[in-house]
Amino acid sequence: MRTLSLALLTILSVIVLAACGDVAGDPSETVINYLEAKIAADEEAVGQLLCADMEADLQREASSFTGVSEARLENASCTYNEDSNTVTCEGSIVANYGQEDTEFPLTSYNVVQEDGEWKWCGVSS
Amino acid sequence: MRLMLKRIVILLLMMFLLIPVMAQDDETETAPNEITTYQRVIVREGPGNTFRQVDLLNPGIPATIVERNRIGNWVRIQRYHEGETVLDGWIIGAYINFPDELSYSDVPENTDVERRVFTVPSETETTLYRVATIPTLSDAMVEVFERGQELGNDPAAVTKIGDSLSASESYIQMFSKEIYNLGPYDFLEPTLLYYRDSTADGSVAAQVGMNSLSLFDPFWAARFSQCEGDENPLQCEFRITQPSVAFILYGPNDVRSMNTTTYREQITAIVDASIDAGVIPVLMTFSTHPEEEFYWQGMNFNVILTEIADEREVPLINLWKETRYMPQYGLGEDLIHLTHPGFQTLKYDTGHEAFYGISLQNLLVLRTLHEIYTTLQLGEVVG
Repeated sequence: MRTLSLALLTILSVIVLAACGDVAGDPSETVINYLEAKIAADEEAVGQLLCADMEADLQREASSFTGVSEARLENASCTYNEDSNTVTCEGSIVANYGQEDTEFPLTSYNVVQEDGEWKWCGVSS
Repeated sequence: MRLMLKRIVILLLMMFLLIPVMAQDDETETAPNEITTYQRVIVREGPGNTFRQVDLLNPGIPATIVERNRIGNWVRIQRYHEGETVLDGWIIGAYINFPDELSYSDVPENTDVERRVFTVPSETETTLYRVATIPTLSDAMVEVFERGQELGNDPAAVTKIGDSLSASESYIQMFSKEIYNLGPYDFLEPTLLYYRDSTADGSVAAQVGMNSLSLFDPFWAARFSQCEGDENPLQCEFRITQPSVAFILYGPNDVRSMNTTTYREQITAIVDASIDAGVIPVLMTFSTHPEEEFYWQGMNFNVILTEIADEREVPLINLWKETRYMPQYGLGEDLIHLTHPGFQTLKYDTGHEAFYGISLQNLLVLRTLHEIYTTLQLGEVVG
């Protein structure tokens, strides 16, 4: 009986831990969502995906592309690097101003887990 | 005896006849800068269209230039008749038929006239009109320059920071061209030659579509191979250029997406970062059009720039003030970007600075560099 209880407890723990992992989500997806929010100047969404250390930079992060007429992500794909807690992305942000398109290549970004969720935490040095 | 008397009379007569000629020669010697204009121009009490009109000067009528303002784009003229001054006032230089020998090096500079106080209906506009177009260099900025030299900054390097108005290749980068024509502004030539090698390339910190928040965002540096990791455009530009002077112009984009509090914070942050790096930050007001949607917000932003310049003792170029007498305030159809004369070289022998925004902007930058160059005695260091 005691063995059975132990086994059930173990299974339950595994399920709970797995569930926690789901809550954290995919860091690559977080970065893509962050980039989308940033170029859309969606301050609320940027704020939800920004790490606590960068809260003071929220306005800059959400408004640095408001000077362009239109910005979009092109061919963006990201990969999580567990060892460095970074997400490396390919593709670019294409910003239009007047008749001119400017390409901003994507690079590597820091990610951290806060309250069980992945947050974007700056450009990797 | 009669012959002697006759000779004396002839001599006296000749002397009498020569007096006007001698007097005319004297006048020519003291007033070598005789000019005419190619169209009728308004003569004003001071150098600017807010000064009261005192007279008109018709085309082809000679007058003598006796002074110029600090830029050189307005000159004080006089006309004389029978030893009396019959006309005395200021005209815009653009309408002059520039004689080849006209050289503003030889024309005394009046440094007091633009300090005259006058008012226009709007308090905000009056505030801006009262700010000098060309700054002087404060002791605090001399110290910044000296600290920059200790940090390894290049005394002859300048850079530009801003949005599409600054990113334009016609702005400052035009100084690097081998061909140039300064017209009567010959006094600016040593300054141009001193700085021009550093102006050929664009700036990481001046990009199309930027606002003053973008300048601190590493996303805007990532497309430049010279920039490292998480550097923002300002850090990257200062590291690779090591300038001594930075011309800062934000506003036309910011005015559309920013409140005055954020704008003040951002400009202050740029100024402080420049000072920390030993770079003299030169602020610049921007032209606004009364029919433009954000006119008053732009005016408020311009006032903020003058306040920051006062607080931090940094130089400020009052481009706004000088564009007031230009066609469409020096602005193109979009009422944001400055008009361009079409030439890809500096050309100041035909009055472009009174008609095209970019020509005026470059002239004001060059004149401000001249102020820095002479105050810091950089010519003596080199020469």
